[in-house]
Amino acid sequence: MTDINPAMTETQIPTASAAAGRSLWQDAWLRLRRNKAAVTSAFVLLFIALAGVFGPWFSPHPYDRIYPQYVRAPASLEAYPKEDAIVPAFESAVARARIEMGETEVDGSTVRVPISDGEPLDPRIVRYVDRSDLFSNARIEELSDDGRSGVLAADVSRIRFIFGTDANGRDLLSRILIGIRISLAIGVLASVMALLLGVTYGAIAGYLGGRIDNVMMRVVDILYSLPFIFFVILLVVFFGRNFVLIFIAIGCTEWLDMARIVRGQTLTLKRQEFVQAAEALGVNNAGILKRHIIPNTLGPVVVFVTLLVPKAILLESLLSFLGLGVQEPLTSLGLLISEGASNMRGAAWLLIYPAVTLTAILFALNFLGDGLRDALDPKDR
Amino acid sequence: MAEDNILSVRGLHVDFETNDGVVHAVKGIDIDVKPGETVAIVGESGSGKSQTMMAMMGLLASNGRARGSARYRDKELIGLPERQLNHVRGEKITMIFQEPMTSLDPLYRIGRQIAEPLIHHRGMSRSQARARVIELLKLVGIPDPERRIDAYPHEMSGGQRQRVMIAMALANDPDMLIADEPTTALDVTIQAQILKLLAELQRKLGMAIVFITHDLGIVRRFADRVYVMRSGEVVESGETESLFASPRHSYTKMLLSAEPTGRKEPPVPDAPILLEGHNVEVVFRAGGGFFGGAELELRAVDRISLALRKGQTIGIVGESGSGKSTLGRALLRLLPSEGAIRFEARDISNADKGEMRPLRKELQLVFQDPFGSLSPRLTVGQVVTEGLLVHEPSLGARERDRRAIEALKEVGLDPVMRNRYPHEFSGGQRQRIAIARAMILKPKVVVLDEPTSALDRSVQKQIVELLRDLQKAHGLSYLFISHDLAVVRAMADYLVVMKQGKIVEEGPTEEIFDNPSHSYTQTLMAAAVDQTRFRQLDLHTG
Repeated sequence: MTDINPAMTETQIPTASAAAGRSLWQDAWLRLRRNKAAVTSAFVLLFIALAGVFGPWFSPHPYDRIYPQYVRAPASLEAYPKEDAIVPAFESAVARARIEMGETEVDGSTVRVPISDGEPLDPRIVRYVDRSDLFSNARIEELSDDGRSGVLAADVSRIRFIFGTDANGRDLLSRILIGIRISLAIGVLASVMALLLGVTYGAIAGYLGGRIDNVMMRVVDILYSLPFIFFVILLVVFFGRNFVLIFIAIGCTEWLDMARIVRGQTLTLKRQEFVQAAEALGVNNAGILKRHIIPNTLGPVVVFVTLLVPKAILLESLLSFLGLGVQEPLTSLGLLISEGASNMRGAAWLLIYPAVTLTAILFALNFLGDGLRDALDPKDR
Repeated sequence: MAEDNILSVRGLHVDFETNDGVVHAVKGIDIDVKPGETVAIVGESGSGKSQTMMAMMGLLASNGRARGSARYRDKELIGLPERQLNHVRGEKITMIFQEPMTSLDPLYRIGRQIAEPLIHHRGMSRSQARARVIELLKLVGIPDPERRIDAYPHEMSGGQRQRVMIAMALANDPDMLIADEPTTALDVTIQAQILKLLAELQRKLGMAIVFITHDLGIVRRFADRVYVMRSGEVVESGETESLFASPRHSYTKMLLSAEPTGRKEPPVPDAPILLEGHNVEVVFRAGGGFFGGAELELRAVDRISLALRKGQTIGIVGESGSGKSTLGRALLRLLPSEGAIRFEARDISNADKGEMRPLRKELQLVFQDPFGSLSPRLTVGQVVTEGLLVHEPSLGARERDRRAIEALKEVGLDPVMRNRYPHEFSGGQRQRIAIARAMILKPKVVVLDEPTSALDRSVQKQIVELLRDLQKAHGLSYLFISHDLAVVRAMADYLVVMKQGKIVEEGPTEEIFDNPSHSYTQTLMAAAVDQTRFRQLDLHTG
C-alpha cells in the first residue's frame, strides 16, 4: 500500500475545520432539524400557539357570548339553525295566521313561502313570524293585484358552530381558542418561573457545596413534602382566585425538580478541569456560575423544560377540574375537559374537541422534548 | 502462503455518517495475521487503527459502515449475521480494551464475569467453570486466585483488572487476541508487567496477538511485524527489526524520532527563589460522620519541602496515586494544606480566596486533559481572555481581543480560529489553547500537570518545545508533573521522585537519570528505558 504523503502538519480534525465556529447549540440545532417527529411537533405547536394568541380575535363569536337558543348544539359544518329546523318553525309560525301555504323555500338566509287566502291578505300577519326568535324582518313580497296571494319572506340569522356549543350555549371553538391561550400561558410562565428559580438555586447549592448545599437542599426536601393541592388551597384562601396565582403555585412546586437536576449537573461539572482552571485564574464564584456552570447545565435543562410545560398544563387542568383554577367565563383546556366530562353522554363533542387539542399540545411538546434530548445528547457526538 | 493466514483483511473501508457528510475513517487497508505471531498496528489518534478492528468484530458505532473483506480462516466477517459472528468473536477472536476501570461490570464478582462465557459458549457447569476460572486467574498471575475469584472489580488495582480482562479473553482458548492499547492507562512499572505476561501467555498458548498501540517502545519489544497507519491508510509495513532499522516512509521516520529531545539548562545558581514549600502536608479525611465509623485518613502529601527558583523547572515524577498532582495544587493554594508556602518571600500559607486572587495572575496551572479543561460552551477567544476579565477588568473588548490574538500567535495557533469552539480542535491544539490561557496573564510560575500525557508522541514533542521556548522568552519557572520520564528529562533541570506522598529521591535531572540511587527510582527507570525484547524472535513458527 503506497500513498502520497502530504506535508507533516499537526493533526487536525478533518471535518470540523471546514465549518467555521459552530457551537454545540448549532450542532444540536442541525441534529434537531433532521428529526422529523420533532420538526412536525414544532410546527404543530407553533400553529396551536398562534391559534391561541390570534384566534380569539378572528373568531366570529366572543368566547363569553351566550346563544340561549343553541344550547348544546352538536358540532356541524352546516350553519345553525339547520334547514330542517327552519322549515317546520317557519311553517308553524305562518300557520297561526290561518292562511293557505305553498312549498317553503330556504335560500341562504331568507325563507320564502307562497301564501294565499280567500280575502285580501292582512299585512299584520308578518307579526306571527317576527314573534319567533329565529326570524326577523318578515315581509310580504310579490303581492298580487287583488291582494289575495303573495310570497311571505323572512330573514333568518344563520350562525356556524363548527365545534358545537356548550351547555350554556357558548361557541366551543372560541372557548377552545381562549383555553389554548390560557393553558399555554400558564404552562410557559410556570416553566419560566421554575427555570429561573430552579437553575439559580440548584447551581448555587451545587457549586458552593458543603454545609450551604446541605441546608439549601433540606429546604427543598421540606417544600417537597408539602402536598401540592394543600399548598394551592392555602394560596387561594389567602389571595383569592387569580390567574397569576395559578402559575405561581405551579412554578413554586415545579422548581424543586429543576433545582435538584441542576444541582446534580453542577456537582459533576464543578469537578471538571475547566472549572478548576477558572478557579486557578482567580475567577470569583459568580463568574464561574455565570460563565461555566450555568451554560453547561442548559442542555438537560432545556429538555426538562419542554417536559415541564405539559406537566404544568396538566396540573392547571387538575386545578381547574377541581374548581381551583381559572374562573368563568374565562376558561382553560382543563376546565373545558372537565365540563365535557360531565356532559359526555349527551354531548360527546364537548369532551372530544378540547381533549384532542390538549392531547395534540402534549404530544407535540413531548416529541419536541425527546427530539431535543437526542439532539443535545453528547453521547451521539 | 495466504492460506496460512489466520486473518486476512483486504481492502477494508470504514465510513462514518456525520453531520458534515461521510468521514472515511479507514480507506482500504490490507492486513495479514499468521497463527501465533504478534502483529502491531501503530498510529496516532484518529489514524483508524482501532476502527479497523472494531469493524471486523462488528462493534462499529451505529453510524459506521464497513466495506471490503476480513476473513478469519475461511469465514468472511464483514456482513456476517450477528448470531454467527458471536461464534467467532468472544470464542475464536477476543479483545482486551484500554480502560480496565470501565470494561468490567462493577456489580458482579470477577469470577462470575469470567465464567459467563465459559458457561455460555462451552456449556460448562458452574463448578467446572469455577475450576477453570481459578486456573485462568493463576495463569494471568493473580495472587491467591481461590480467594480473589470472589472479589469485586473495585477491590482490585488497575493492573490486576487488566489481568482479569486478559483472563476473560483467554477463557475460550482463542486463536487470536486483539489488544487495543492494553497498557496505556497503566503506570509504567505495571505496563511492563502486563506486557511480560502477554508475551509469556503467547509462548504458552500459541495464539496470535494483534496489538493496537501508539507507543513505539512497546512495539519494538513485543511485535514480530508492524503496520504503520496514518489517516486511515497503512503507510508502511514490515518486520519489526527491519522497519525500526531502516524506516522508508517519512511518517514512520517522524514517529521514530518523536521522542522529545534536548535538555534544559539549569538556571543561574543565585536565581531568586519564587515559590517555596516547607513541610507541605495534604490530608484527605473520609468517614467518621454522623453515624460513626472510623475516620479514614489519607496522607496524600506527606511533609514535602521544595524551592522553585526563577527560570527553573522542577520535574515531579511518580506513579498514579503518588500525590504529585495534589502537591502541585496545594502549592498554588487550590487545596487546603498544612505547612508553610511562600511566594516571592511572602507567606501565603493561610491566604484565603480573596487574598490569593491578585496572586493568581502570577501562579498559573495547565491541566492534563485538553478535552476537559476548556469549557465547551465558550469560544476559544473567550476561554483565552477569561483571566483578563478578572485581573485587568479595565481592558475593553477590543484590547482583550488584541491580547487574545497575541497569545494565540505565541502558542503557534492561527488567531483566525478564536471564534471557534474547543470541540473543533485536536488534542494538541487544545493544549495550546490551555497554555495560551495561562500565558496571557504573563505569570511567573506555571504548574504543568501532565500537560503532554493525553497527546500523541509527535504532538508531545511540539508541546514540549513550545513550553521550553515560552520559558526562555519570559523567564518562567515550571513545576512539571509527569509520569513520563522521557518528557521530564527533556523539560526539567531538577527532578523530584515521589512515592506515596513522600519524596524518595531528588537532585539534578541528569544525575538521577545517570545514577538513580533509590530502588524505586531504579524500577521506574528500568521499566521506561528498557528497550530489550522480552522474548526471542524465533519462538514462533511462521
